[in-house]
Amino acid sequence: MYKSKKTGIIGIIITIIILILIVILSNTDLKQVSYLENILGSIVMPIQNGLTYLKNKIAGNDSFFIELESLKSENEVLKQKNSELEQSLRELEIIKSENQTLKEYVNLEDKYQDYQTIPAYIINRDISNFTKTIVINVGEKDGIKPKMTVISDKGLVGYIISVTNNTSKVQTIIDPSTSVSSLISTSREEIIVSGTLESNTNLKATYIKADATLLENDNIETSGLGGIYPKGIHIGTIKQIINTQNSIDRYAIVETAVDFSKLETVLVITNQVEE
Amino acid sequence: MKKILTGIAIIITFFIIYFLQANFFTWFTINGVMPNLFVIFVLWIGLFIGKKTGLVCGLIFGIYIDILVGKSIGISGIMLALIGLIAEYIDKNFSKDSRLTIMLIIAASTAIYEIGIYVFQIIKWGINIEILAFLKILLIEILFNVILSIILYPIIQKLGNFVESQFKTKTILTRYF
Repeated sequence: MYKSKKTGIIGIIITIIILILIVILSNTDLKQVSYLENILGSIVMPIQNGLTYLKNKIAGNDSFFIELESLKSENEVLKQKNSELEQSLRELEIIKSENQTLKEYVNLEDKYQDYQTIPAYIINRDISNFTKTIVINVGEKDGIKPKMTVISDKGLVGYIISVTNNTSKVQTIIDPSTSVSSLISTSREEIIVSGTLESNTNLKATYIKADATLLENDNIETSGLGGIYPKGIHIGTIKQIINTQNSIDRYAIVETAVDFSKLETVLVITNQVEE
Repeated sequence: MKKILTGIAIIITFFIIYFLQANFFTWFTINGVMPNLFVIFVLWIGLFIGKKTGLVCGLIFGIYIDILVGKSIGISGIMLALIGLIAEYIDKNFSKDSRLTIMLIIAASTAIYEIGIYVFQIIKWGINIEILAFLKILLIEILFNVILSIILYPIIQKLGNFVESQFKTKTILTRYF
């Protein structure tokens, strides 16, 4: 029991603060700490600038005063040019992103045009740390059946393992018990990709033939074998090849095309299961 | 009447915990690892209500969880029922009035539950054994559960003592006999 009510409350508050700090720090990307760098920099940098200015002045740097006027005018011209360049850069970036979106749309339409799909929202994620299933908001009433393939605009998501009237459970490809028969898109070599406990973004590619050519950034797609996934659905790209002493034991890390942490909508392919 | 109300309160608490686990704790994680509030809840039932309620509640809640999000029905039910049973055994042999004891019980129960689930997965689904990854996740989950037990300890104690007074007539530690 707590020794007194006051110390008990303080203890709980401290524990809550520690828990929040652990959660924030463990989930923060180091790149996101730049705001902290900005704050700390803003304390030191103005003083540092002033000190440098004073140092230059005391050192008797004559050219500093002579060239000051010409530097000022030059600076104005450069600023003007810089803003014009920034403006055109912004326009280019907008065009580039529009182009990318249109390209993706055209590719997706071409790639999956043979499939009839039903769109669905993810309404529940797994509550265990050791399995990675999701629940979507379409079910038997919408014509969903077990073993149907689930995809997103980026690539393969998983397959339906069970359905109720209005919902369906999907076993994702990142689940440790999922294995997908796949092909390397360039060399057409067959491999097996499986989910791992360790990561929600990477898969492990195994059963790689000893003489198979494997390159980083090669695309991986479904082979159509196994009876669940149709052929040619994009899974991800090879991120790293791990060579072992025995060449048949080597494996590769495949980065999934789908970002499962941000996945919200999916498509269920309905015209593929033949009963 | 009070027993019925307590029963209803337990069911409502289960659903609150379910929604917390499925929503809040899917983003409030330590390095992507969630705590397991169901283990704490079933332990609490087993410790303070007893009379095999922990076992029954663990079984029902576990099967319900399996139906909602599990890949196969039964294993969570069996493991949570085991936790409820262990809690009753612990109640007969240890004092619940120590924060450290509660923390240790929660840590051990979380480990038993997750190891059981993982072994089942290996046997049933034939998944690759990843000992290091499993231990890393397990340790973080235990840490998370223990931290939550420190925060929730006063509630666990107060509500537990209240519920215990409703359900149990005698609370004698058998180790004194």
